[in-house]
Amino acid sequence: MSGGDLRAARIRQTRALAGFLVVQTLAAVFFVGDVIGDLIADPGSVHFIFEALVTAALVLGVAFGAFALRRTIEMMRAQETALSVAQGELAQVIGEQFTDWRLTQAERDVGMLALKGLDVAEIAELRGAAQGTVRAQLTRIYAKAGVSGRAQFAAFFVEDLLGEGVRPATPVAPAAT
Amino acid sequence: MAASLPRSTAAAATAATPDSESGPRLWDPVVRVSHWGIALVVLFNAVLDQGGGTLHVTLGWIGMALLALRFIWGFAGPAEARFTAFPPRPVAALAHLGALRRGALRRYRSHNPAGALMAYALWALLALIMATGLIMTGGRTPMRVAEENAAVAAGDWSVLVKTGKTGEDAGKGLKKAAGEVHEMAADLILILVLLHVAGVAVESRALGRNLLAPMLAGGRRQ
Repeated sequence: MSGGDLRAARIRQTRALAGFLVVQTLAAVFFVGDVIGDLIADPGSVHFIFEALVTAALVLGVAFGAFALRRTIEMMRAQETALSVAQGELAQVIGEQFTDWRLTQAERDVGMLALKGLDVAEIAELRGAAQGTVRAQLTRIYAKAGVSGRAQFAAFFVEDLLGEGVRPATPVAPAAT
Repeated sequence: MAASLPRSTAAAATAATPDSESGPRLWDPVVRVSHWGIALVVLFNAVLDQGGGTLHVTLGWIGMALLALRFIWGFAGPAEARFTAFPPRPVAALAHLGALRRGALRRYRSHNPAGALMAYALWALLALIMATGLIMTGGRTPMRVAEENAAVAAGDWSVLVKTGKTGEDAGKGLKKAAGEVHEMAADLILILVLLHVAGVAVESRALGRNLLAPMLAGGRRQ
């Protein structure tokens, strides 16, 4: 899924930034040592002044690199948290809706599996029930929910999730309403 | 965008689930690189290579850079890597060891108090070893040490004469003392490393959770 790709990309970015930061710190420490040596030997020389400038830039680079890396890591975590909060809330919304429809425990389980995209055969196998039983349960769920079938059943919750936010990013066909 | 997610939401979400975790699931890359980098430096410089050689000094400088980076990260890094997440508290550390013996462990967001104290002890020793090492080499960078070693190997002893010129006797005494501290601290750090490894093993066992995995590059375990 694209969520996984995004995550992998973020992890790669974090690793690259960290590697860069380590190399930069190594260079900075070696340069700082050299500059201090030069300072003791000959503080007035052009060589020393130039090297000191370069070293200062390196040290600043390390500081900024560290902050950039921390921001990336925190952003990654915030997104993960937001995602898990959204997942938890969606599950809660679904559960409350199921209660509202007065689904039995068996129907709740079957309904949840159906929402996750499993077909009748898979649900039957998972629950160790006959396919006919699962089909009958699904029919009862749809009847209680007042939907025509599986597509509408799933759409019920997606619509809830989208809320008022159904707006195409770029204006497409007028039929989008 | 999720980037503008209020900080309080993220904080509330992490605060809601600390009881299932002890320390982060995976330490960030800077913590891991500096940890294993310094571990390798200590292993090499204390056991494998020859003191005073170019390799020894170079590795020491690399260790110094990693320690500096970890220090910066202790202020600039993410929450669990910051020093504020694991302040040195000796009393809490003792209490933690007592709890470990009774099997009534609390869980911590970062290092546990005993682990934190160990981290500070290791860092202090590393700083001491590096400082005395710098005194012994006169603060010369590995590049200069390599040049001088090459010059001496080629038969040019004048570089040695030049460095011994300033404050001859006092300098020698200081270097000798630094050398002794350097070696003693190196022995001590090896003992602490063994204690540290044992501590991680005991704590992992008591928590029923592998504490080594988050420090390795290992895949994410949910």
